[in-house]
Amino acid sequence: MIEKLAIVWPEIILFATTCVVMLTGQWPVCAVRRMTPWLAAVGLIAAIGAAMASPPSDGLYPDLVPYAKSLVGIMGLMILPLLAGTVDRELEAGVARGERFEPLRSNGAEFYAFFLFSLTGLMLVASSDTLIWLFLALELTSLPTYMMVTLSSRSTRAHEAGVKYFFLGALGAAIFLYGFTLLYGATGSVNIPTIAAHFAEHGLGPIGLAGVLISLIGLFFKIAAVPMHFYTPDVYQGAASPVSAMLAFVPKMAGFMAIFMIVGSAGWGPDGTGLPVPVEALLWVVAAMTMTVGNVLALLQSSVKRMMAYSSIAHSGYMLVGVIAGPGGDGASFWRNGLAAVLFYLLCYGVMNLGVFAVLASLERKGQEADDIDDIRGLVRTHPPLGWSMVICCLALLGFPPLLGFIGKVGLITSGITSGHLALVIILAINSAIAALYYLRLVAAVYLEPASDTGFRPSRYGSRQVAALVSAGGVLVLLLMSNRLITAADDASRYAPVAPETAPYAEAGANN
Amino acid sequence: MTTLAYADPSPYLPIFFMILAAIGFAVLNIAGSFILGPKRLGDRKGETYESGMTPIGTARKRFNVRFYLIAMVFLVFDVEIIFLYPWAATYTLLDPGSEQSLVWLGRILFFLFTTVVAYLYGYRKGVFKFD
Repeated sequence: MIEKLAIVWPEIILFATTCVVMLTGQWPVCAVRRMTPWLAAVGLIAAIGAAMASPPSDGLYPDLVPYAKSLVGIMGLMILPLLAGTVDRELEAGVARGERFEPLRSNGAEFYAFFLFSLTGLMLVASSDTLIWLFLALELTSLPTYMMVTLSSRSTRAHEAGVKYFFLGALGAAIFLYGFTLLYGATGSVNIPTIAAHFAEHGLGPIGLAGVLISLIGLFFKIAAVPMHFYTPDVYQGAASPVSAMLAFVPKMAGFMAIFMIVGSAGWGPDGTGLPVPVEALLWVVAAMTMTVGNVLALLQSSVKRMMAYSSIAHSGYMLVGVIAGPGGDGASFWRNGLAAVLFYLLCYGVMNLGVFAVLASLERKGQEADDIDDIRGLVRTHPPLGWSMVICCLALLGFPPLLGFIGKVGLITSGITSGHLALVIILAINSAIAALYYLRLVAAVYLEPASDTGFRPSRYGSRQVAALVSAGGVLVLLLMSNRLITAADDASRYAPVAPETAPYAEAGANN
Repeated sequence: MTTLAYADPSPYLPIFFMILAAIGFAVLNIAGSFILGPKRLGDRKGETYESGMTPIGTARKRFNVRFYLIAMVFLVFDVEIIFLYPWAATYTLLDPGSEQSLVWLGRILFFLFTTVVAYLYGYRKGVFKFD
């Protein structure tokens, strides 16, 4: 058991940082409070360093750990500047006027601590090798986000969003926990590689099949796949833009890694096309519905945040194609490896999507963040850096060649074709065309329309604009690095189920 | 290999009877006192505390929000006990001085450390200030 400590150093570092942040965030001295985001950044950088040096885990995807944890750390670093000024605005303004600082009224400590806790949970999902660990890690990822939604804004809409998110999240967790218990019941082990070995030897059986399907349905909530997507637009719109940016990445990444593990325990077979028929059918139908519903409903929105929420649903659908395609057999290249395509796409999506929310968060009118499409008309003329960031990120999200989203989507499409899911790939292509309509509507509003004074000014929290520029820059820089990233994603997705004869059935329970 | 899913359900039979007995006991008592009990109602009989003190004011008054903070601080202790008790009950089964016992000690110390952090946070937050 003690050997496992070696792979959780990034989490330990983040936890220690969280403990410090929890205290400094509400320190009576203003200078100490200002230091809090910097402390969080230092912790994240240290965690990235530890993640890159991490040894392989005992899970189904031994090499997932360094890639996934570094990705989480880097995304955390990119979201961090965006969080500035989300909570405690009135309080800090009052303190600046000379009022006394009241810790009970401040939320800064909790907000940053919850943010780091959520990232810690996300890293733990990557290193999980048992169902219990996986469940606890998923909960650690989600529980802080419920509170961050509620804390992020004073409006009743944010409170409604938080409550909605919490109850539906609890429902999702109950469903996948039930699925996990069935998996345990069918195999007699909570160890995921052991479960995979058991299924490889004895087949799924009715209870194992029910376990896999029910777990997946619960996990669909995390990635906002249809029919578990209903909370997404309300929650993204209700929460402040920085938190919405986080919500679009963190639970989705956790959900996809967990889905990898659950689908991986059922197995894709030696050539990557042997997914059990009911599992494949469920994933197929959900992927097709998610893409279509997400994109069609995004067309109808006038609120950019709601539009991005539906686009986030659609992107989950695209990524499910990669899950269905699977690892593509031994030694398959990136273009045949669906899991690598998903891991790479998660990185692309995180960066591109962050840019759009960062632009929205950077524009304010009387303390209100930009939300409606009218708020950003002519942005390229009025605030060129923000406007261009928006244009670049939207085109990348659309998958405009040769931008980042295009490379990610090509990986998904080629892996889908080589694994023989032509119909699904055609649905994906049609959906990309539908998506072009609303992304281009955003680009047109920002770029083509004449400048008009909407009353929105860049936020006085300059670090938000830095986040927007960094994301747009990231879309371009990552494009240049995409060759290396593709290799990294390919290595990270190495799928290594234990061979049935070496499966530790007898000891499975003993050493846990 | 027998798996749990196909295990014999008969060990759970006593639990089933226990549930039946619990429901039956409750139903029997309520129905019994409803049928057999004398019904003499009046002002005295209808009081909150029969032959006790006279209640003052309404029960639905507002409480100071601090009580909720105290309740939450108490919960931290409560959860701690839930984990400490089984830990203490099983720790004596391990070989003294073995590596495993050290790991177990380390785990519970880490858990206690998280409680300390929670209380430090509460202290800085001003939960223990009563003014």
